Amino acid sequence: MSEAHLTMGSHTAPPMEARPFAIPTKKLAMWLFIMADVMTFAACVAAYGFLRNSTPDWPRPFHGVTNVAIMTLVMLTSGLTMLIGLRAAKLGDKSGAFRWIMITAAAGVIFTLLHIRDWMGMMNQGVGLFHNPWGPPAFGAGFFVVTGFSLLHISVGTIALIIVNLRYRSGRYNADDIELMNLFWQFVGLVWLFIVPIVYLMNLAPKA
Amino acid sequence: MATAEAQGIGRYIAVYFGLLVITSLQFFIGYQNIEGSHLVVRFLTFAVIEAVLVVLFWMNLGSEKGVFVKFIIVTMLFVLATMNYIWTDSFRVLLFRLTGIGPS
Repeated sequence: MSEAHLTMGSHTAPPMEARPFAIPTKKLAMWLFIMADVMTFAACVAAYGFLRNSTPDWPRPFHGVTNVAIMTLVMLTSGLTMLIGLRAAKLGDKSGAFRWIMITAAAGVIFTLLHIRDWMGMMNQGVGLFHNPWGPPAFGAGFFVVTGFSLLHISVGTIALIIVNLRYRSGRYNADDIELMNLFWQFVGLVWLFIVPIVYLMNLAPKA
Repeated sequence: MATAEAQGIGRYIAVYFGLLVITSLQFFIGYQNIEGSHLVVRFLTFAVIEAVLVVLFWMNLGSEKGVFVKFIIVTMLFVLATMNYIWTDSFRVLLFRLTGIGPS
């Protein structure tokens, strides 16, 4: 029941309970979802760290991370384009918001394709979930689980961005819904900024 | 909802370039021959700075009510801190594997 209905019913009716933390309920729900996701990601990364730390012959197979650098640039830039789209939505510029959010979604598609390319390169060298040509099989499991969880979030987030953006253009969603997508998109980008050093840069092959 | 988005994109762009610089530093450090815990500490320090920038300015947590910000920070720090209990066990397993004594 809305606050308006409550006040219309009777002047003596008690006011609706205040929103927790004085923010909209949908936004609070998204923050709680993000907090839960932080714990899941943290558990994955901690498990990866445990394996890496407790395995004496952990491989460092990466000789170059150009692909990963490009992926990081794409992800950071998509965060900025998402914010520009959100700002346009807040200012009532519907076509501008739609355009910038579609650019963000396109960046998400590019990131996903580059990620799959990275995986294909690893698999072509014989790395799998339970196989690693350079030593302990836990390396493959750790690599694919941590990066795969991130890839899952980004690919699903890209689809969600497109759906929310189309519904925003049709008038079913408003700028507040775009703001919720912004929260999720910035979060997945933030997770990637932790994965790059932990999974890739720490496993760069040492110089001779 | 927050009106920070309507205040201009200058701050967003400044944060973007800040993130680019910090990430570039991470890649630069990655290519140096730094071993062990020093590397982890440097990487995580940079990553935490990036996280603070993104959460405060790109997720606009800085413009929310103070009580909500405290709720998020305290909860997250508690969870992330308690997860660090695993490290002692990982060193125990490493010691066992290196010495050949105990479980593999």
